[in-house]
Amino acid sequence: MAGGPAMRRLWRRTGVRLLALQAAALILAFGLTGAFARISIERLAEQGMRADVAGETRSLDDEWRRKGAGHLPYTIAKRQRLWHGFEYGLASPAGAGLGGAPQLAALQREGWSTARTATGAVLAYTERLPDGGWLTVGRNLANEQRQLDALTGLLALSGAAGVAICLTTAWLATRWTWGRVDQLSATAAQVAEGRLDVRAPVGRRASSDELDELSLAFNQMLDRIGRLIDELRRVTTDVAHDMRRPLNRVRQKLERLARATEQTPAVAEEVRRLEVDFLEIIHTFDALLQLAEIEGRLRPQSRVDLAAVAERVAEALRPDIEESGRSLETRLEAAAVAGDTDLLAQALANLLENALRHTPEGSRIAVEVQSGDAPRLLVRDDGPGIPAALRERALAPFGRLEASRTTPGSGLGLAIAASVATRHGGRLELGDAGPGLEVAIAFPPGAA
Amino acid sequence: MDLPPLQAQPRRARLFLRAATAGRPKLRILIVEDDVEAARYMADDLAGFGLEVTVVHDGVAAAAPGVGDGDYDVLILDRMLPSCDGLTLLRQLRARGVETPALFLTAMGAVADRVAGLEGGGDDYVVKPVDSVELHARIQALARRRVRPAAEASLLVCGDLELDRLNRAARRGGEAIALLPLEYRLLEVLMLARGQTVTRKMLLEQVWNFRFDPRTNIVETHICRLRAKVDGAGRAPLIRTIRGSGYLLAES
Repeated sequence: MAGGPAMRRLWRRTGVRLLALQAAALILAFGLTGAFARISIERLAEQGMRADVAGETRSLDDEWRRKGAGHLPYTIAKRQRLWHGFEYGLASPAGAGLGGAPQLAALQREGWSTARTATGAVLAYTERLPDGGWLTVGRNLANEQRQLDALTGLLALSGAAGVAICLTTAWLATRWTWGRVDQLSATAAQVAEGRLDVRAPVGRRASSDELDELSLAFNQMLDRIGRLIDELRRVTTDVAHDMRRPLNRVRQKLERLARATEQTPAVAEEVRRLEVDFLEIIHTFDALLQLAEIEGRLRPQSRVDLAAVAERVAEALRPDIEESGRSLETRLEAAAVAGDTDLLAQALANLLENALRHTPEGSRIAVEVQSGDAPRLLVRDDGPGIPAALRERALAPFGRLEASRTTPGSGLGLAIAASVATRHGGRLELGDAGPGLEVAIAFPPGAA
Repeated sequence: MDLPPLQAQPRRARLFLRAATAGRPKLRILIVEDDVEAARYMADDLAGFGLEVTVVHDGVAAAAPGVGDGDYDVLILDRMLPSCDGLTLLRQLRARGVETPALFLTAMGAVADRVAGLEGGGDDYVVKPVDSVELHARIQALARRRVRPAAEASLLVCGDLELDRLNRAARRGGEAIALLPLEYRLLEVLMLARGQTVTRKMLLEQVWNFRFDPRTNIVETHICRLRAKVDGAGRAPLIRTIRGSGYLLAES
């Protein structure tokens, strides 16, 4: 069934099961009420009918007493012609039919019974006349049955309408609630994407309900997070500013020192090493600030041709890789994602740098772009790889593994690549290239 | 130590400014920087490169008539200044029709800050710390853009080296040099700046379009390959390495 998953999703929503239960209860209640109503109306109608039949019987009985037995067949024939809804049967004490419907005349036992005549089902009352003859008065049931049927139909119809109105109202109310909950989740999703300026809609104060309260609490939480992040950003900027100024002066003084000591090679060498260390500090400092910046940024929206980025970065690094005695191959399928070219280029450069740094000479390094609904940008090598247990740690900032403590690098390259992947709504996956390491930036489905 | 004056120079006649830009030996620089010590070092270093430097320590003073709109070839502005930040200052100057190229030299290094700086009228954006070679190279690049406009001749020449930009072909002494696309772009950038230093960072930005530093030798390796093609086979070397990680293409 095509609608299967959609139906299952609908069924999982809060309120749908409650609504279904409510519907069942409502239908049951209406059904029971209808049945009771029908039974009691039926009983009332029967009582009325019996009273009518008894009255007619008494009237004929009186006739017999006042005018004699010989007159009754005429009276019956006359009343039958006038047709008041009654049918009659008259039999002699010997049992021979004297008038009326033969089926009723044949009833020769006192009391209530039902019979069938030419006009249909009849409720009949039979009494013994003082001369021993039998008088039966019946009332046709067809008319009452029709009325009862019409009444039942009416009951069922109004019941169905009632159920429908109740359910529609409940559905609309639930839908309205869902709409508000959906708005709230949409807001939360935007926040997850890094937007802290969005707020959940809140109704007017006078009619605020628990959803409004939830939205209000959610917004207050966002305000607070926003303030904290602003504060953090301000502190980061201040720290960066306060540190960059003295770092700038250190750099200026180092330069001067380098010029001043050119004539004494031993000191000049020390100064040169100092400069290398200094640049290392700056690199880590920049990388840390950048990491904080990427994480605080919005998800980039412009279209990026992944293959073009991969081609550009791979070609830039190819001479380095090849001159270091390793090989580089590319398998680039056309794939476009919503992204930030600069960040993606840097992430890929970091991955290639890592591959270059952590593989032995003679290794083969490959860059791949896999197209599809969820494109992947990956770097694979046939070096030593990272054991599965240590992969999580390798992705953390400064998460350098023991084996690489001695090689240069800030330990932030993979962390930056991971945060670039996250910023694009995807993730950085470390896998086994069997042998070697496979690092992939996996974009989310629908990124293409 | 020989320090340049810290006060603003008096306003010069504009006419003189325009006429003199091309032939004048000394580039005139205005530094707006509140860190007094850093400004002094910077002024000193740039003076060492033969530049004429004026220093102002706050934005309001720099916005005053005759200072920011004075006779300068390049403005160097800090972003975070007391009383008036560099971005506001530059907007004010641009609104007054000042077209002097401006370089932001700042501690604000976020991408958003850079974008704001460049969109606010800045021509280059450098994050501290920076060394004097880098700063000087970038000042020269900005000043050059004024003197030699971007729509430059389709043929670049340096000694017996020619770069035919229409056919994307290079010749040395009439002999064709086969270049890969990246090598061509690298040589083009060096030749546009001929006689002036281009730093590793500038090459990364202009040749590879990288705003980050891949910590490999990509610039060195490419320069090495380019050098083998351009300067190889006993020719006089044209591509020189400048201490402080820069390169320069010039006749010896």
